[in-house]
Amino acid sequence: MRRYLAKISLGALCSLVSLSALCGPMGFKDSWMSMGDVSPNWQELFVNYALTARDAAGASALVMRSDDGTKSRQLTEATYARLAKRWNMPEAQANIWFIGGIGNITGNDFSGSKTLVTPGVQVDYETTRVYVSATARLYRAQGLNHDFASARAGFSFFEVDYDQTQPWFILEVRRMRGLTDKTEVTPMLRLIHNRYFVEFGVNNSSQARMNFMYIFD
Amino acid sequence: MKKIIIALVMGIAAISSMAANTVKVTVNGMVCSFCAQGIEKRISKMGATKDVLVDLKKKTVAVEAKDGQTLDAKAISAEIVDAGYDVVKIEPVSQSVAEIRAELKGRK
Repeated sequence: MRRYLAKISLGALCSLVSLSALCGPMGFKDSWMSMGDVSPNWQELFVNYALTARDAAGASALVMRSDDGTKSRQLTEATYARLAKRWNMPEAQANIWFIGGIGNITGNDFSGSKTLVTPGVQVDYETTRVYVSATARLYRAQGLNHDFASARAGFSFFEVDYDQTQPWFILEVRRMRGLTDKTEVTPMLRLIHNRYFVEFGVNNSSQARMNFMYIFD
Repeated sequence: MKKIIIALVMGIAAISSMAANTVKVTVNGMVCSFCAQGIEKRISKMGATKDVLVDLKKKTVAVEAKDGQTLDAKAISAEIVDAGYDVVKIEPVSQSVAEIRAELKGRK
């Protein structure tokens, strides 16, 4: 049972972090960014609004369950993202982001809710053909320590113009403290077009994943 | 005679560069469609802007002025910088944005 719980918690919490590792955790100024992660055991929605070109505030909601359906978790969180530093190069961009939030987590195997804080840092480097990022984030609540780290690397199959769909191959590796010793590895196909992207993949536990992001204003 | 020819060529070039009232901005850090959207949106909102085109491959933004209006290069540069990118160069070009767009379509 503990392993089930560890598995679903890892997956769900990782999904929160991984979403913020997709091309940066916010859109352009005055835009809304919505992101989602959908799989059999968890469904998550994340929305934020870019107050400036460097700051975004938002909220996320997550419902998850164990593989046998007996355990469940619900997490709601107010979030904040801040571009701490950017390097602009002729063919590339590199960033350091602060990401974090505060919210609460409930579950069907403990009573009430716990306050959760999730400060973290993301660094990324991107060209029109290559993307790499690394994220470290604390997930702390009373009696809970699910500190997390992930890395993503990928490449696009070919270069496109702004209004064309661009396919990418992305490999994600992630791991969380305190819940499982397993490192999750997920190869994914990402399709980016203008205001959205979608990702499809299957992790090393043979679970299908689908991520999406859409920017609107 | 040689000086006259050079002067004529330069004059024609200058006239033709003013004809479309378009500028091309070279931008560092503009590597994804989400970057392009932010820049395109901000430039489009400027009062003198008739049309905008982002070329991710060349890392340039072409901006064309409305008829009878003049583009403010400093304001365009400021918008791009405020969006989080670096402006390397702004130069007038002879083509309209529609012509540049057609040229891009032609190279696909």
